[in-house]
Amino acid sequence: MALVFEFVWRLLHALLHLHRTLVTWFRSHLWKWNGRIWKRAVAALLVPIALGFPNHKKLAPTTGKRVGRRFRFGADGKALEKLPLHVGLLIAEEEPRYSDIANLVVWCMAVGISYVSVYDNQGVFRRNNSRLMEEILKQQQEQLGADGSKYSVEFLSNGSDKQDHQVLSCQAVVKVLSPEDGRQGIVEAAQKLCRAVEQRERAAKDIDVTVLDSLLRESRNIPDPDLVLKFGAVQSTLGYLPWHIRLSEFISLPTHANISYEDLLGALQSFAACEQRFGK
Amino acid sequence: MSWIREGDLNLIERISANILKAGPIPKHVAFIMDGNRRYARKRQVERQEGHSQGFEKLAETLRWCLRLDIREVTVYAFSIENFKRSKDEVDGLMELAKQKFTRLLEEQENLEKHGVCIRVLGDLTLLPLDLQEVIAKAVLATKTHNKCFLNVCFAYTSRHEIASAVREMAWGVEQGLIRPSDVSEALLSQCLYTSNSPNPDMLIRTSGEVRLSDFLLWQTSYSCLVFQSVLWPEYSFWNLCEAILQYQLSHRSLQKAREQHRESQALQQLEADRSCVAELLQHRSNGTPVDAQSRQEALHSYTASREERVRHFLVPGPLTRTLHGYLLAKENNTPSGDDVPLQAVFPTITAALRVYHAQEHMIR
Repeated sequence: MALVFEFVWRLLHALLHLHRTLVTWFRSHLWKWNGRIWKRAVAALLVPIALGFPNHKKLAPTTGKRVGRRFRFGADGKALEKLPLHVGLLIAEEEPRYSDIANLVVWCMAVGISYVSVYDNQGVFRRNNSRLMEEILKQQQEQLGADGSKYSVEFLSNGSDKQDHQVLSCQAVVKVLSPEDGRQGIVEAAQKLCRAVEQRERAAKDIDVTVLDSLLRESRNIPDPDLVLKFGAVQSTLGYLPWHIRLSEFISLPTHANISYEDLLGALQSFAACEQRFGK
Repeated sequence: MSWIREGDLNLIERISANILKAGPIPKHVAFIMDGNRRYARKRQVERQEGHSQGFEKLAETLRWCLRLDIREVTVYAFSIENFKRSKDEVDGLMELAKQKFTRLLEEQENLEKHGVCIRVLGDLTLLPLDLQEVIAKAVLATKTHNKCFLNVCFAYTSRHEIASAVREMAWGVEQGLIRPSDVSEALLSQCLYTSNSPNPDMLIRTSGEVRLSDFLLWQTSYSCLVFQSVLWPEYSFWNLCEAILQYQLSHRSLQKAREQHRESQALQQLEADRSCVAELLQHRSNGTPVDAQSRQEALHSYTASREERVRHFLVPGPLTRTLHGYLLAKENNTPSGDDVPLQAVFPTITAALRVYHAQEHMIR
């Protein structure tokens, strides 16, 4: 009897994997055909996904038309009921694509989001920080053209000393994060506090949430991420800033490859519709 | 009304359960039981009725979990943020909790039959005293059961939990039990309220909200997060199956991520030990170079002594008698024989309870 159940289980999972593969294939190859029949067929395929995983947002077709959009960015941002202060881009996929991430960062900035953080759980972006920075600057030029100079970006990576006066003149802050900023960051703050206790500069009983929070916030006072956009099929935060995500909304997108502005806008619209009660 | 609903699954449900069990099943599931008030609005009943229905659903869900071989369940019953609600609602919830925990004491046989161990996690000092007492009694009554575990998070937020763990470690440094360099991810995990449980494999939040709301932020870093739009009192067996299916789909990637994290943690610890040893050797040898073998030996002995220090900090031996005496005295409402005040020995009651549970486990 157990063998029968196992067989059925394997069959079920094979079907689910096939379904997932078909959808990915359709999305990347057939959207450009733009035919109505194909759209309906894919919509039909996507329905089980919509039923089963209500949080997954469906990706819009990539039109590739970027002309005329740059003027809409600011308008789109203002049209939203609420805009996140800090968006976290959580790349839960095996191969990160720098140009797509750069696009997302630039769009976020253009729409009016002040802080963007980029995270992957292997620390790839952290190691290739400079490459990402170059891509972002390049996309800024391409996407925003003459307006690009209005949007100056400050890149933050841990350990670099940035002058405070630079922060004041910046429109947006981009932070590159890795797992070391998560639990390990909390451990380092704890060690700092313990050393202070050892030196009798502080009493153990005075340590509370506020003390720990101010240490973890660092000097720049970057707000907690309001919105975390997760890219990839893995349903997990994969170690992203555990302390800071206590009230973050999680919106999943299937992939960051060939992501379009409409997808980002859709996610921002879902965020605007969320209602936070803060325990009340 | 009771904590575990009697009755079994129907045929189709049993077949589906057996099919799912052919694949990986989470050993520990966490639930954010959201949607009671919206359910009450939808059904046009009192809010209190919504919460009551929510509790009934919890009892039913526990039964399904047992049937699916999920041995440990953690639920978010009441957040410290929920104290912001109206006094009526908060009082109603406290009353409901008192009723349920009192009921628990009445049906000890049933719980013993299923072997359910109930633990309550959170800053219990924020609760009314009568509720604290009944919770303490309920926890003590089921502490020896070990077939399955229900952790109820009451007056809990994850940030408070992490801050209290840091406070405990700082207290350990103050008392000279551990050094600041002994502080690590592993030690912090051992100082959390949830130290007696493994990290949750899956976290389910109902009612369509897609946030964590300060629940198990540290522990769920590598867990499968499932957000479902059904309201908690309307949760069904099929919703649970759907969640488990999602868990099974993400299982392999999560395992890989967890493995990577464990490896990098071990590497981090090794590096930390190495740098401490290097510092020590520099002091001792006064600048003269040390050969590789003595360095290696020094590293081994440092690691061993660090582990001993940490062990001593987490489960202090001679203090257990005091703790036993204290908790027994509280149970029997008699003055404690020992005159060492517990607050002088442990920074929090939860720390004391943690040690108590760990000691019980060792004795068993």
